[in-house]
Amino acid sequence: MKASCNWLRELVPQLDASPKDIAARFTAAGLEVEGIVEFGAATDSCVVASVVSMRPHPTKSGLRLVTVDRGGPQQELVCGAPNVPDPGGLVVLAPLGTHLPAKNMTIGKRAIAGVESEGMLCSEDELGLGDDHDGILVLPAGSAKPGDRLSKAFPWMRDTILEINLTPNRPDGLGHIGLGREIAALYGFSFAVPDVVGTGTGTGTGEIGQLVTIEVRDPERCPHYGAAAVVDITIAPSPTTRYRLQSLGVRSISNVVDVTNLVMLAWGHPMHAFDLDRVRGNRIIVRRANEGEKLTTLDGIERTLVSDDLLICDGEGPVALAGIMGGASSEIQPDTKRVLFEVAWFDPRSVRRTGRRHGMHTESSHRFERGVDPGDVAQVLEHAVAMTRSLAGGNAAKHRMHVQDTRIAGEPTPPARRAITLRAHRLADLLGIDVPFTEAVAILERLGCAVVSKNDKSCDVLVPTHRPDLGREVDLVEEVIRVLGMDAIPAELPAVRASRDVGGHEELARRAREAAISVGLSEAITYGFTSARALEALGAPKPTVLLKNPLGEHHAVMRTSLLPGLLDAVANARRQSEREVREFTIGPVFLQAKAGGDGLPNEQLRIGVVLAGERGGWLEKPQALDAWDAKGYAVAIAQRLGGTPAKVVAVPATREEAQVHAPHLHPRGAAFLELGGRRIGSFGPLHPDAAEAFGLDVGVLVAEIDLEPFVTGPLLPQYATIPRFPAATRDVALVVKDEIRAGEVESAVRAAAGPLAEGVQLFDRFVGGPIPAGSSSLAFHVVYRAADRTLTDAEVDAAHANVVKAVGDRFGATLR
Amino acid sequence: MGAETDPTATIDNELSALREAFLPRFRAATTEQTLRDENAKILGKKGELTRILAMLGKAPPEGRKAIGAKVNALKQEVEAGFETCLRDLRKAGREADLSAPPFDLTLPGRVPVALGHKHPISIVREEVVAVFRQLGFAVHDGPDVEHEANNFTKLGFPPDHPATDMQDSFWTKSNHLLRTHTSNIQIRAMTTLKPPMAFIAPGTVYRRDDDATHSPMFHQIEAFLIDRKVTLAHLKGVLAEFAERLFGPNTPVRLRPSYFPFVEPGAEVDIGCVFCKQSDGTRAGCSLCKHTGYIEVLGCGMIHPVVLENCNIDPDEWSGFALGMGLERIAMLRYGIPNIKLMFDNDPRFLAQF
Repeated sequence: MKASCNWLRELVPQLDASPKDIAARFTAAGLEVEGIVEFGAATDSCVVASVVSMRPHPTKSGLRLVTVDRGGPQQELVCGAPNVPDPGGLVVLAPLGTHLPAKNMTIGKRAIAGVESEGMLCSEDELGLGDDHDGILVLPAGSAKPGDRLSKAFPWMRDTILEINLTPNRPDGLGHIGLGREIAALYGFSFAVPDVVGTGTGTGTGEIGQLVTIEVRDPERCPHYGAAAVVDITIAPSPTTRYRLQSLGVRSISNVVDVTNLVMLAWGHPMHAFDLDRVRGNRIIVRRANEGEKLTTLDGIERTLVSDDLLICDGEGPVALAGIMGGASSEIQPDTKRVLFEVAWFDPRSVRRTGRRHGMHTESSHRFERGVDPGDVAQVLEHAVAMTRSLAGGNAAKHRMHVQDTRIAGEPTPPARRAITLRAHRLADLLGIDVPFTEAVAILERLGCAVVSKNDKSCDVLVPTHRPDLGREVDLVEEVIRVLGMDAIPAELPAVRASRDVGGHEELARRAREAAISVGLSEAITYGFTSARALEALGAPKPTVLLKNPLGEHHAVMRTSLLPGLLDAVANARRQSEREVREFTIGPVFLQAKAGGDGLPNEQLRIGVVLAGERGGWLEKPQALDAWDAKGYAVAIAQRLGGTPAKVVAVPATREEAQVHAPHLHPRGAAFLELGGRRIGSFGPLHPDAAEAFGLDVGVLVAEIDLEPFVTGPLLPQYATIPRFPAATRDVALVVKDEIRAGEVESAVRAAAGPLAEGVQLFDRFVGGPIPAGSSSLAFHVVYRAADRTLTDAEVDAAHANVVKAVGDRFGATLR
Repeated sequence: MGAETDPTATIDNELSALREAFLPRFRAATTEQTLRDENAKILGKKGELTRILAMLGKAPPEGRKAIGAKVNALKQEVEAGFETCLRDLRKAGREADLSAPPFDLTLPGRVPVALGHKHPISIVREEVVAVFRQLGFAVHDGPDVEHEANNFTKLGFPPDHPATDMQDSFWTKSNHLLRTHTSNIQIRAMTTLKPPMAFIAPGTVYRRDDDATHSPMFHQIEAFLIDRKVTLAHLKGVLAEFAERLFGPNTPVRLRPSYFPFVEPGAEVDIGCVFCKQSDGTRAGCSLCKHTGYIEVLGCGMIHPVVLENCNIDPDEWSGFALGMGLERIAMLRYGIPNIKLMFDNDPRFLAQF
């Protein structure tokens, strides 16, 4: 909402604070002023000049040399405008040094086609007063003296405009009267709604009831329809209103259209003007649209309507979308002689639904959907009539017509005002400060509330109809602190009675984050939505949460896997030529709702990991990351989350298992992660088909782990006695066929080594050289120890001999 | 023949020769090992001095004591000389080591694992949670996909009201929605637990906005306290404490009345601008705070009695406050991140900065 400081001062004569101060007051009261704009700032330095004489430019056709009188010295200027008036005509001179903010230029001495010009004759556009740049601004003859400062001679060309960001609960702030009342209340001034000249009787010959009939068929959506007519008017441009409208961002069209806009900007109550002679059948019907009915609105778009849309119709069909936009057929035209004004109150919800349905948002719908004042219809109508008569002449038809449900009368029945009881102690209870009750009551009265009864403990308040947001006691408490200012509230720490965590996911996510960070991964934040195609490419579960109104196909479903977001991150990085990506993301996947639940999807918290690039630093030769890196990260994260005693195991997937349960993984490197025998995730190299679908090459590794199993926190480690006796370590290198997996050999070594073996660790795998093709050498450290004595060499040798024999027997392994 | 020969003169000669020679021999050693070898050649089992001492038996008994004393004296001299040389050698070695060319510490450091990086949003999220935990609040989770009632209706959003414009929602085909704020947790807590309660609720939220300054998914954190006699002053106290801990000591906090359907009175909270703060704590004013010295960081208010009633909590007995903030905004303010989109590109070069 743009608010004119001049207008506010007209409404509140005591208001002499600076615009900056006014803005600060508004902001502190919740009507946030986002900007202060000087309108017509150039008029402070420009002066009125009268044309003395004119001659052609010596060399350049199209330019003229104009001599002007600026109230003393005369001066000659170069001017290119086609509309320089005859001698005696008044124009606007920007003298040397004038700054024109609208053009961001300062007038300097310059030669135009060889002739020096000290100053410039200005157009409206250059003065920042309008967008007319077809010629210079010509002032009405005799309206000022040469040499007068423009802003002094024409004060309406100069204003300060406040740009107020209104919250949707304050429709009263969408008009200057509401803002005037507000600022008066904030400064503690009295406020009176301006007296609107008009009596409802009119001076015209006609009687409104003879000019038009009005029928409201949906009184629920239109509980009040008020109408007045003015006849014998003359449509003309409106020089006196154009700058005020311009300063408030509205184009001046003609006197009568300007009236509707000015009245709206005064009261915040939109209205409509019909050319009465174009209202077919002299009938107005307010009704809901027939399904499929068509209306071409003023913006030239043909709208197909539904039965929820409220229409204003004449005898032959729709002429306006109620409260939103008119149609072309009954628009005010230059030849309009009789105008019918509509001031109505439309149901905010209905206006909003229709506006949204048709993608329309107008000054009118913006106000109606927030709730205009149902109590000012008659005044708004009178204001429009009075202003029309002063700007466009004519006579008002006798009487007004107010249709309220089945009642049709010349005067409306005022709407009921809401009564609220305010208890004095609620102020302190909610605000934490003592506000004298009389002060609180005075504030409410300044805002337009009527206090009907009051004692020390409470009062009954009638709320004004322009404040639909005041619905209950607490709203009055807010009004009091809003006007007092929230700086009055002290800061006081409460004694918090502690609660316990509910859900545990935040803490779980934090632990998972720490675990992932600690192994060197960086955190990505990935979108909850993805595309069905991406999930399909990964063989992830079919999405169960589909969006009705997604921003696009790429964000149309809620993910059932964390990987699409991570793979997008890799693709992004690759586009930036970043090869090294080691990222994780933590968040829910959205799975089928649990039976018997609340119907919401099962949001399962997971961690996803993606690895791409190379391993190794400056000491070693870098090598592409491989499946064992994926394993290392996945196991480490799960182990850290599970705690030291947790049994985290990586289990290679068979081809069949991979196809069914991890189709996004390369079948050679697919594996599952198990915790205490329960499958909690998978990891491995990305399947080349999936990589291709995401525009990636090979060498991308992924892991995805369900975090729910870790929600109870890590298992507590249990202290084990530190061995007192030394260990004996024996190494064994076994040559085995490749199809025998290292894990099996290791288990066999462990089993064969017997109870004295404390640990078995693979420390080398070697292929090539003397090792026959198709085999590899696996070397293990085996650590032997007894808790109660130092083992003898003989004991250790015996146990170790068993290892060689058992593994040899079982796998045909030979000592290397 | 030997028995008759008195070796005394020979011993004397050899002792003096050794006395003359041992120190230069020690000094000539350039390593500890050669020094020790040299020492062993003299004092060892088969060393020179041992060999000299072996001749003592052939000396006349009356002279033996004097010779023995001489041998012993020399032995002590040799030992002392050895110690000195050893010390000197070590000292010289250490000095050579200390004065050798420095290591090239411009080579990358060697660490077992280079730590990864938390996302800036998570850093802020964890910090805010920690601050509120210290104030006695616990964490309450809530789902991303939510019932309309929990996200809007029970929070007092009027149907078809422009207030919902502020939060244009994504709807699912089963007529649920992606929560537009974390305030759904207020409803979830109030409908399942009895007051008093003090919760902090971080989470992912979604709105149908995707432009230069909006992401369709972002993060909020909500804190709410419900107890007897909770006042706006308590809200202000908690906000002041929060600002102090998150943005530094003496960060001014300003409340401006505003409108959110689920609080009354409602306010926006400005804190002293973090960009133009001067060393004396004043704000110089800058383009980021539009020269006001304040920047908006969150919205808050007293929980609307309608919300309490919707959750069967008597507003005359209980009152509460709620506050909510966008984590992206806080992160952008703290780290000077100019564009919200950077937060969701997950570029490794971005993540590595935090």
